Amino acid sequence: MADFANKTAIAGIGATEFSKNSGRSELRLAVEATLTALADAGIDPSEVDGMSSFTMDNNSEQEIFRAIGGRDLKFFTRIPQGGGGTCGPLQQAAMAISTGVANIVVCYRAMNERSEYRFGTPMSGLPPTSDNVVFAYHGFAGLMTPAAMIGMMMRRYMHETGATSRDFANYSVVARKHAATNPNAFFYGKPITVEDHQASRMIADPLRLLDCCQESDGGVAVVVVSAERARALRQKPVLIRAAAQGSPAGTLGLASFYRADISPRDECAAAARQLYETARMTPKDIQVAILYDHFGPTVLTSLEGYGFCARGEAKDFIKGGNIEVDGTLPVNTHGGQLGEAYIHGMNGVAEAVRQLRGQAVNQVAGVHNVLVSAGSGVPTSAAILGIDG
Amino acid sequence: MAYGGDAGGEAVAGRGHNAPCSNRDFDFFYRGLEAEQLLIQKCGGCGALRSLPTPACAECRSFDWQAVPVSGEGRIHSFVIHHYPPLPGFETPHPIAVVDLAEGVRLVAAMDGTAPDDLQVGAPVTAEFLRRGDVAAYRFRLS
Repeated sequence: MADFANKTAIAGIGATEFSKNSGRSELRLAVEATLTALADAGIDPSEVDGMSSFTMDNNSEQEIFRAIGGRDLKFFTRIPQGGGGTCGPLQQAAMAISTGVANIVVCYRAMNERSEYRFGTPMSGLPPTSDNVVFAYHGFAGLMTPAAMIGMMMRRYMHETGATSRDFANYSVVARKHAATNPNAFFYGKPITVEDHQASRMIADPLRLLDCCQESDGGVAVVVVSAERARALRQKPVLIRAAAQGSPAGTLGLASFYRADISPRDECAAAARQLYETARMTPKDIQVAILYDHFGPTVLTSLEGYGFCARGEAKDFIKGGNIEVDGTLPVNTHGGQLGEAYIHGMNGVAEAVRQLRGQAVNQVAGVHNVLVSAGSGVPTSAAILGIDG
Repeated sequence: MAYGGDAGGEAVAGRGHNAPCSNRDFDFFYRGLEAEQLLIQKCGGCGALRSLPTPACAECRSFDWQAVPVSGEGRIHSFVIHHYPPLPGFETPHPIAVVDLAEGVRLVAAMDGTAPDDLQVGAPVTAEFLRRGDVAAYRFRLS
């Protein structure tokens, strides 16, 4: 069991606007988000001594550090697995701070993934790294996009549980409903119906267009400090109760087709076991969940993997209204990545913090603990964040 | 024909196939297709079959292996129909399937050439060989 439970806290959050064309460099987005998060925390940028991000992020630690006027960077680390990495930097920060390696760690993700390049495009690559030869082996079959890889996983799930495309629609409708009242969401004021979802074109059958998140430009950063330091700062401390990575046997990057259950659930369950043990909690202790929705249907498997529903029951859980703002477990109250923006889940971490501080636009009453997950269908990560009292 | 674990020692230029991104763990598979053979790895230590090539046996950790032919008969475990974006070498929409082979291991393979509406989980399938440009390939069709 990890022994950093509740020893560190998120003291600040910052984000740029989310758009299809930011009009400025990715580095500027990263620096803006970082400075906003530090200002939110009330920490002078010169105090930052640690940084953590995704291996996929194009902004180097030292360039951000140079722009913010940093003095002495002691800890810098990156997490692989694309969107599976979301909560990895939080875990890195918690470990570094609780062991005295660093004091103020900025976790960031910033990208112009819509305006400067396209995301979710066919995957191919040289040289023949251990990952690239696997992508090529599946690409050789015509299986080249994240949507098709997740679609393959979800088809089997549908076969085993009876879930249908209309069940997937029910999630998309909730995400867009939440986004519709979030002024920062790309789809602010644009709710959809089940019929809209069913009429949207196929991307990788069973996945339709309205099952897919949207490529976005934007940046998000959070500042992690010791819990003790956080209590002396201006914002209500959001404790990192637990953070974990999960990659059980047979889990591959968008390619777990050779294990018993090919649905994107095992990796969530692996992270969940660690989270609940470290935080000494059960799913019943969680009031809000931010579940990674690169593709909306994976919210069903995440609800099950993180223990909120029994296997196969997520479709009825969603249909019953449980994941709406007034439900028993509000999910993705910001609109998720389907509705707000796709910043590799970091915008979901920020939403978890807002819910715990009582600052969310779709605020849920009585929130003490929020579970945040990263992308599934890949080696993943997750965290439980909470507040005292 | 033997495709042992040391068979990839030659230079890449002489690897015996035209698959664009491979390494010495995967070359045997693409070379097999050049000979219209569907090959998978069989552990030289414990005899376990394994699919999705890898250098060591997860059962007994042996690096010793041989490539053995499989029947090409199996059943659809799952499938997806790729619609967008168009991919080089495939006419959309085209299916891809995860197939449970009769030998007890899985393969992920193209099923272009089969009408998407005809697919269902559990359907029996058979491998067939073809060429995509200068690359030797295979796909499954309904049995």
